[in-house]
Amino acid sequence: MQRRTLHITQKWTVAIIVIGIAFVGTALAHHGWSEYDANKTMNLTGVIREYGYDNPHGVVRLQAEGEGGKTWLVVLAPPARMDRRGLAREMLKAGTTATVVGYPHRKNGDEMRAERIRIADKIVELR
Amino acid sequence: MQADAAGWLSWLESAALAVWVRESSLLYPAIETAHILGFVVLVGAAMMFDLRLLGFARTLPVTEAARHLLRWSRLSLLLVAPTGFMLFMTQATEMWANPVFQVKLLLIALAGFNALVFHLRSYRRVEAWNQQTATPAGAKLAAVFSLALWTSVITCGRFLAYY
Repeated sequence: MQRRTLHITQKWTVAIIVIGIAFVGTALAHHGWSEYDANKTMNLTGVIREYGYDNPHGVVRLQAEGEGGKTWLVVLAPPARMDRRGLAREMLKAGTTATVVGYPHRKNGDEMRAERIRIADKIVELR
Repeated sequence: MQADAAGWLSWLESAALAVWVRESSLLYPAIETAHILGFVVLVGAAMMFDLRLLGFARTLPVTEAARHLLRWSRLSLLLVAPTGFMLFMTQATEMWANPVFQVKLLLIALAGFNALVFHLRSYRRVEAWNQQTATPAGAKLAAVFSLALWTSVITCGRFLAYY
């Protein structure tokens, strides 16, 4: 039954594929939130200066309260999810006051990812 | 040169099609789905052919495997390329500057070049090793390159969302 035994090239192929899949698996264990530091929860209230109800993630530029407040790029969620959870495009218009809870980007000093957003009395979970 | 590229990219990004895809709740994930379906066929068929070159299923003539599998690989490009381009359009400036995206394009080019070299060299003499015999070293090398390159292309594609 010569066909039962794996040829040497076949053995190597199987070994390489297994190693490859293991490597890819490890790589994919990272996810989108890992770019943000979850140990530093931020609570930011400000005025929306600009918004994008865009794929793959919606965003707002949120200027923190107070004189000369810093403007943050706040990454929200995909439009389909925001829409389904009741955060309509109209609610993000410039001039609207919003509060976001989220985490700062590890490298970009003015970027954060929001876990949830509150506009007027409505709180929407974004994750 | 740099300014030209920037102008071209922002033009692409503001094109009606890009805006439509970017702002549509369902179109964007639908295009992603079509892109995935396309490369499942492209890469899946290519990898099955690579395994044949590496000595699996030796009773199957290489020419028959090529006729069936590689045709589907090529056809799937009609789905993969346009959907990939549409996804690229929505964030053209950001993508173009992203090193992961640059590496991905380079790897796709290398995979194409690898296939071309295989067809111009080893595959020309396929009748000599079509069935039940060992594949020549050149063809095995092409198969190993193909497996590694396509695996890396998919890894880069997935990494784009996390880098």
